[in-house]
Amino acid sequence: MSTLFSGDFWAFVGVVAGIYTILALGLQIQFGFTGLLNFGQVAFMAIGAYTMAILVVKEGWSTWLAAPLGIAAAAVGGLVLGLPSVRLRSDYFAIVTIAFSEIIRYVATNEDALTGGSQGTIALGKVGTAAQYNTQWSSFQSRVQGWLGFSSSDATMLVIVWLVAVALLALTALAVRTPWGRVLKSIREDEDAAASLGKNVFSYKLQALAIGAALAGIAGLFYAWEFSFFSPDDFEPLLTFFAWMILLLGGLGRVWAVPIGAGVFGFIFAGTRFLDFAPFTWFGSDQRAYLRLIIIGLVILALVVFRPQGLLGRKQEMVLE
Amino acid sequence: MSDFLQLLANGLVEGSIYAIAALGVSLVYALLRLVNFAYGDMMAFGALIAYGCNGPLHQSMVVSALAGMAATAVLCLVLDVVLWKPLRARRAGFMSLFLASIALSLLLRQGLLLGAGPQPEAYHVNPYRVFVLGSVRLSEAQVIAIATAGATIVLVALFLARTTAGQTLRAMADDRTLAAIAGVDVTRATQLAWIVSGLLAGLAGVLAGLVEYSFDPNFGFELLLPVFAAVVLGGIGSAYGALAGGLALGVAEELSTWSGFAGGVNPTYKPVVAFAVLALALLVRPQGFFGRARVA
Amino acid sequence: MTALLELDAVAKAFGGVRAVDGVSFSVEARSITALIGPNGAGKSTLFNCVAGATRADAGRIIFRGRRIERRPPHRIARAGLARTFQTARTFRRMSVVDNVLLAAADHPGEHLPRLVLRPAAARARERALQARAAELLDLVGLSAHAQAYAGTLSGGQRKLLDLARVLMLEPALVLLDEPMAGVNPVLRGQLLEHVLALREQLGITFLIVEHDLDFVMRAADRVVVMNEGKLIAAGSPDAVRSDEAVVDAYLGTAHGAAVPA
Repeated sequence: MSTLFSGDFWAFVGVVAGIYTILALGLQIQFGFTGLLNFGQVAFMAIGAYTMAILVVKEGWSTWLAAPLGIAAAAVGGLVLGLPSVRLRSDYFAIVTIAFSEIIRYVATNEDALTGGSQGTIALGKVGTAAQYNTQWSSFQSRVQGWLGFSSSDATMLVIVWLVAVALLALTALAVRTPWGRVLKSIREDEDAAASLGKNVFSYKLQALAIGAALAGIAGLFYAWEFSFFSPDDFEPLLTFFAWMILLLGGLGRVWAVPIGAGVFGFIFAGTRFLDFAPFTWFGSDQRAYLRLIIIGLVILALVVFRPQGLLGRKQEMVLE
Repeated sequence: MSDFLQLLANGLVEGSIYAIAALGVSLVYALLRLVNFAYGDMMAFGALIAYGCNGPLHQSMVVSALAGMAATAVLCLVLDVVLWKPLRARRAGFMSLFLASIALSLLLRQGLLLGAGPQPEAYHVNPYRVFVLGSVRLSEAQVIAIATAGATIVLVALFLARTTAGQTLRAMADDRTLAAIAGVDVTRATQLAWIVSGLLAGLAGVLAGLVEYSFDPNFGFELLLPVFAAVVLGGIGSAYGALAGGLALGVAEELSTWSGFAGGVNPTYKPVVAFAVLALALLVRPQGFFGRARVA
Repeated sequence: MTALLELDAVAKAFGGVRAVDGVSFSVEARSITALIGPNGAGKSTLFNCVAGATRADAGRIIFRGRRIERRPPHRIARAGLARTFQTARTFRRMSVVDNVLLAAADHPGEHLPRLVLRPAAARARERALQARAAELLDLVGLSAHAQAYAGTLSGGQRKLLDLARVLMLEPALVLLDEPMAGVNPVLRGQLLEHVLALREQLGITFLIVEHDLDFVMRAADRVVVMNEGKLIAAGSPDAVRSDEAVVDAYLGTAHGAAVPA
C-alpha cells in the first residue's frame, strides 16, 4: 500500500503514460485523422527499439546516431507495410497490419543472430556477455538529472519523455490544421470523393502511415531506454490495443485528447495494481494480473458501447459518422 | 516424394481445421458485418471446456467435444444478447464492432487464464497409434481431425443448401434488408448464425487441440491469424471461399517446408508463409478468391 | 474541331452482364449534353468509366486529346474533368468552407515538402483560396453555413455545395450525375440557372445524366440516349424526343419517366 503514495512509482507511471502518448499519437494521425485501421502499431515500436539497440551493440554506433536511424527504420517499415496493403478495403487492411506486427515479432524471436532471439537484447552481444545498449543514454540522463537537481532518475525520465511528447503533440496539432492535414481528413471522410477532387489518396495514406510509424519508433526508443532491456514478447499486440484504448478514451481526431487518454489509461492500469481489498484478495497475484486486464477489457467495452466519442469527443461527430 | 506426400497430408489436416474455423468467421461476417476478433479465443474456450470433460471428468472424446461445441455456441448466444445486440441498437459502425471484438478477445483470453490457468493441457488420446497409408503416416488425432472436418463441411454445405434455416441464412447474407422485408425473422436468423458459428469454433478448437497434442489458453490467438488469413484469402463472407482458403493455406504452410523447395522454409516460419501467401494473393486479387470487390 | 471528350466503343461487363456495350459518342467543348435512358441502361457505369472510378474492359476514352481510360480518378480530375455523385458526397464531418477549399487544385499547402520548405507561398495561396471560397459560397447562397458541418446540410444544400466545389475546381468538363434527384422545384430552377451561367461565363462543358426531362429539354444542346448498355439515339432534344427507338425504350420498360409530348 505504501507504493500508492510513492512519488517514484507515479513518476514511473507518468513515464509509461508519456511513451504511450507518443505511440497513440502516431495512431491518431493514422486513424483519427486519415482513417487507416492500423492494428500493428506495436511493430514500429519494435523496429525503432531493435534498430537502435542493434546498431549500438553490434556496430558500436553512438546512441545519437542510432536513434534517428531507428526512427527512420520505423518509418520505412510503415512504407513497407503500406505499399502493398493501403489500397485494400479496411477490414482486410486491418488484418494485414496485425499479421505484419506478428511477423515482426516472429522475426525478432527467431533471428537470434540479429536480435538476440527470445532472450532479448541481453543476448545481442558476444556469447557469454550481457549486452547493454543503454550506457550512453544513461550517462546523458544522469547529466540531465544533475542539471535539474532531481534525486530520482524516474522523475528525470519523466521530464525528458514529456518534453518530447509535448513537442510532438504541438507539431502534430500544427500539421493537422494545414491544408495537408485537411486532405488527410477528407480521405478519412470519403476517399473516393477526395480522389474525384484530384487528391492522390494512395500517397497521402502512405505519408500518414510512415509518420505514425516514425512516432511509434520514437516511443520504442524511450521504451528501450526506460527499461534498459527488452525482448520480442514486450512488443505483443496488447500494446497496440492499449494505444487504441487511449484513442477511444480521449476521443478520435483530436490531438490534445491523446495525453489525456494516456493519463487516464495509465491511472487505470497502475491503479488496478492496488486491488488489495476483497473480493480481489481472494485471488493469487498471478490471477490478479489476469483480473486487471479483464477490468481493462470491460472498460473498453463500456466505452465502445456507451461513449464511443471518448471523454473529449463531440457526440455530434459520432452521429455524423 | 514421400516427404512431399506426408507434408501434403499434414497440410490437409491443418487446412481442414482452418477451413472449419474460417467458415464460422465468414458466416458471422456475412450476416452481421462483424469481424469477430475473439474467434480464436472462442476456439480456445471450446477446447478447454472439452478438456474439462475429458480430463477431470473422464468423459470420452466424443462427449467432451460435443460439450465443448455446445458451450461455445451458448457463449456466442449470450454475447449476442449482452454485447452485439446493444451495439446494433446503437447503430455501431464497423470500427466500433472491430474494437469491441478485440476487447472481447482480451476478456475471453484473460478469463480463460484466470479460470483454467496458463499450463498446457492435453486430451486423452493415444499418441502412439498411427495409421499408415502408403508412405504417409497419420496419428490418430490427425485422422480424427480430418475425418470430422470433412464430415462437418459436408453437413454444413447440406445445411446451407437444403434446409430452410440454411436458406434463410443465405438470404440474409445476400441482402439483409430485402430478407427482412421478405419476412425473414432476422432475430432468429442472427441467433442461428451465432449458434452455427459457435459450434464450428468449438469444433475447430477441439480438433486443433487434438492435433497439437497440448494447448493452453493462448493458443486461440495463435490460430486466429492463419484463420483470418484463410478468410481473407477466400473472400470474407463467402462459405466456399472460407473452405478453399483454409485448405489452400494449410497445404501451403506445410508444403513450404519441403526440402524440394530450395531446402524448404524453416518450420518455425510457417505462419509467416501463411501471411506471405495472403499478401501475394491480395496483390493479385484484392477481394480474395470468392470475395466481392467492394465493401457492401 | 476535335471534341473535348470522345468515347470510342467503350465496354464494361460485370459478371455476365454487359453494363456498357460498345458506346461511342463525343462531346463538343462549351456544350451541354444530356445522357438519358431508362434505369439500368448503363449510364452510371459509363460515367464511372469516364471518371476513372471503374476501369472499362474495352474501348478508348479521349479527353482533351489524351487517352484517359487507364488513368486513376485523381489524375483524371487533375486533368480538368470533374464529376459529381448522385448522392452529393460531401465530407460530412468537415466544415462547408473546408469542403470547398479541398477542391482547389495544386495547392502547395497540401504537399508536405512544399509546405515545409516554402510555408509563405502556401500561406499566401491559402489566403487567396479562402477569399475565393467565400465568393463561391456566396454565389450558391451557402455563406451562412460556411462554418457548419457539411453533414448538417439538407440534401438540396449539399447539391449546392457540390456545385461550389465544382466551381472551385475550375474544370473544363463536368460530369453531373442526376443533379436534380431529390431536389425541390425551386432549387431545380436555381441549379439550371447556375449550369447555364457556368457554360456562358466560364465556358465549362457539361455531360449530364438526368431523368428530369423538362430540365433536359430546356438545358441540353444535344441528347444521347442509352438503353441496355447500347447507344440508341443521339441528336437535338427535339429529334431524340420523337425517335421511335427512344419511345420504345421508355415505354417498353417498367421504370423511367414517359417521354413528354
